[in-house]
Amino acid sequence: MSVTTASGSRPAAHLPGRASDRSITLALSILAAIPILLFLLLPLTGILLRGFQTPAGFGLGNFIQTFGADRFWRLVGNSISMSLTSTLIAVGLAYFYAYALQRASIPLKPFLRIAVLTPLFAPSLVQAQGLILLLGRNGALNRFLGFDIDIYGFWGTTIANALYAFPYAYLILSAALAVADARIYESAETLGAGPARIFRDVTLPATRFGLAAAIFVVFTLVMTDFGNPMVIGGDFSVLATEVYNQVIGQAQFGLGAVIGIVLLVPAVLAKLIEKRISARQHALVTAQSKPLEVKPSRGRDIAFSVYAYVIVALILSVLAIVVLASFVRLWPYNMSFTLRHYQFDVQNGTAPLWNSVGVSLATAILGVAITGLTAIVVHKFRNPLTGPLSMLAILPAAVPGMVLGLGYVLTFNDPANPLNILYGSFALIVILSVYYNHAHAFLISSTSLKQIGPVFDEASTTLGGSTLTTLRKVTLPLLWPTLLGVGVFYFMRTMVSLSAVIFLVTPSTQLAAVSVLQLSDRGALNQAAAFSVCIMAIVVACLLIVRTILWLAGAKNVTLIR
Amino acid sequence: MDLSIHDLVKRFGKLTALDHVSLEVAQGSFVCFLGPSGCGKTTLLRVIAGLEEADGGSIRLGGSDLSAIPARNRNFGVVFQSYSLFPNMTAARNVGYGLECRRWDKARMQSRIKEMLDLVHLADQAEKLPSQMSGGQQQRIALARALAPDPSALLLDEPLSALDAKVREELRIEIRAVQKRLGITTIMVTHDQEEALAMADLIVVMSKGRIEQIGTPQQLYREPATAFVADFIGRMNVLPLDPGPQDGFRFAGTQLEVRTAAGGAGKPVAALGIRPEAITLKGLDTTGPNVLPASVRTVSFLGNITRVEVEPDARPGTGILVELHGMARVPEPGERLNIDISAEDLRVLS
Repeated sequence: MSVTTASGSRPAAHLPGRASDRSITLALSILAAIPILLFLLLPLTGILLRGFQTPAGFGLGNFIQTFGADRFWRLVGNSISMSLTSTLIAVGLAYFYAYALQRASIPLKPFLRIAVLTPLFAPSLVQAQGLILLLGRNGALNRFLGFDIDIYGFWGTTIANALYAFPYAYLILSAALAVADARIYESAETLGAGPARIFRDVTLPATRFGLAAAIFVVFTLVMTDFGNPMVIGGDFSVLATEVYNQVIGQAQFGLGAVIGIVLLVPAVLAKLIEKRISARQHALVTAQSKPLEVKPSRGRDIAFSVYAYVIVALILSVLAIVVLASFVRLWPYNMSFTLRHYQFDVQNGTAPLWNSVGVSLATAILGVAITGLTAIVVHKFRNPLTGPLSMLAILPAAVPGMVLGLGYVLTFNDPANPLNILYGSFALIVILSVYYNHAHAFLISSTSLKQIGPVFDEASTTLGGSTLTTLRKVTLPLLWPTLLGVGVFYFMRTMVSLSAVIFLVTPSTQLAAVSVLQLSDRGALNQAAAFSVCIMAIVVACLLIVRTILWLAGAKNVTLIR
Repeated sequence: MDLSIHDLVKRFGKLTALDHVSLEVAQGSFVCFLGPSGCGKTTLLRVIAGLEEADGGSIRLGGSDLSAIPARNRNFGVVFQSYSLFPNMTAARNVGYGLECRRWDKARMQSRIKEMLDLVHLADQAEKLPSQMSGGQQQRIALARALAPDPSALLLDEPLSALDAKVREELRIEIRAVQKRLGITTIMVTHDQEEALAMADLIVVMSKGRIEQIGTPQQLYREPATAFVADFIGRMNVLPLDPGPQDGFRFAGTQLEVRTAAGGAGKPVAALGIRPEAITLKGLDTTGPNVLPASVRTVSFLGNITRVEVEPDARPGTGILVELHGMARVPEPGERLNIDISAEDLRVLS
């Protein structure tokens, strides 16, 4: 065997590649920065500026007018009391649900894990829809069992929002309860602590950060949610519905902006606090920690099984009743089976549904491109733009959908803005959906990029690969399953999102979730239900298709190993 | 082409990772950077590779300055600690990656890949993915990948530390064999002194961003220049000199005779060093120039050697290790005896 070495090879011999790495990375960074400035920072500054703009010029007029009205303070009171109650219910129930799944042995855990997330597949007013069908004036209980329940108002909104926020709380708490150091539990046990005492002295303190994070997330979510109070609130108004009424009902943009700012401030604060808190949660578990194994305990397991199945039954029944109502002639008077409501012979027919699918697909594609690029720029390049870019990328996490949507209206319906041509088009709805969900999608991509780590880049560089070669041949092939997941996330969220897009839809750009709202508003409950069912079906179908694609890609690897 | 490093400085914030480091690496030699973690050895390698930018100083290869040349154009082969094979590519594609980047034509590339896989005895693993190979196989592929584009030097960053002991020893021999066959200038970073002693032509011992000593393995073991090197390579008793004005070397009230050249030229003498095997235990009646009365503190029987810790009468609290080989008589703890420190092996440390 002969091995050749040309010991005279010059180190300075330049490898193929047109532009220098530095200029390419800078160009890509600028490419990532421009849209985020135009479509995130500009609308947010727009809403702030508009809040201070009055017919008399720049000033606090809008604030004084808003804060001076009794009605405003009643709405603040309503919003806060409803959000606090809803948060307590959702976080309290979700904590023990997550506890049941993480710390007890109960049957069919995979089913329980998925079932509790189903509200994420439905438009964010489906809970209100279900509650009305169940408990409303013409609801099943009042009609068949002769009750006299009035669900419209505070309790309806509170319960609907608690059900809506439940999966978000569950996801955070489940993650907090998943990490546990068995050694601490064993020590407590050998020292003679009973289960209740261990829960109070070990479990609760260890999950206090997750608990606090869940409270902040759910509170913001509920406080700024628009769909449920709109459908089931009745005379009970909250700040989120007030923004809608001011802007759409009375074209009071300035006052709408003030309430938008009022909603934005607590959301930003909550997000900052939550970030600080979750950073401390991670420090609790070290590399030496021993994972906790669930030991069977008959009494506890039976109690938690009953609890978990009751919760799942509640969540599923609200969805199931919507599905049921979509298949009966006239809920609850004529319960004979019919497919009539799926003819969609009202309004624009099925157009809103296909619009939604189109917008969601476009959002998925554009979103993957934008967040993928931004995450790569932030994590793989180093230049003066990457720091500010990473801050902007997660900023949407603190911006309620309604507020961002309002910012879009205020910024892009201004004829003086050259981007005004986008106003009233699907394109702007797609862009809004991308930036509304940007933070979470960015974090998913970032986590994956961090796991890929810098060593492959360094290996590629020392072997003579340029930045673009490394991206094309190494990073993207490793990242594609994550990017597909990001696409699914965008698709799902856009299909069901209501509050972000409500200000931008016009009769010619109608979306499915908005149709559900309008049909509910008109009292066409069965057709509204049918629309919701279609949205859920499309989301579930999308999930199944992508799951299959990933499984097939994974299966290829499996056969290779054999 | 010789690699010449001059007055290199690298800071990370307040921390000085490389503190005016200068070094010559001769063409075709195998050099190890050795030191505890945080001593700057990996930083030095990364600066040479171009993965970190130095804050001062220069690196020249065969007369041409490397400072302005980015890592991808330096043409150095780098092997990383572990898991640096591209997981989405087969072994063969990994090996061919550097050639792809250099736009080699297909036929030439295929034959080079084959040649490299043969070199590391893994031709049969060509179509395997990294996840299907053992750690040792992965590192051999990484070596083949680094060598394929015919680099002007090979840089190894703790290439063996993630492997288990047996594989590590095999790969040690294999890397050295490949390096000798190709005659390629090689720098390896390691914290394992045994690895450095076994593989290197020249060892650079580093501590706190500075070079402590450069020498062959034998030189470093026999003639450590500083207390740090003495302690880091093998075991050495460090005997701090008695306080007070120095005329010669006084330890434990005795004037010790030293018959080796003083190391660390110019620097103040800090202590004397003596290897445990260079001390003999004698009866209380012996006399001589380097004989001190002492008592036995602990005795550990370790099979082929017995390690005895003694305490000089005049320096209570200073433990001195003595190694007895074979079947020598083993003293009892508490026993009083004399120790004889060999003047030929006593080192002056700075």
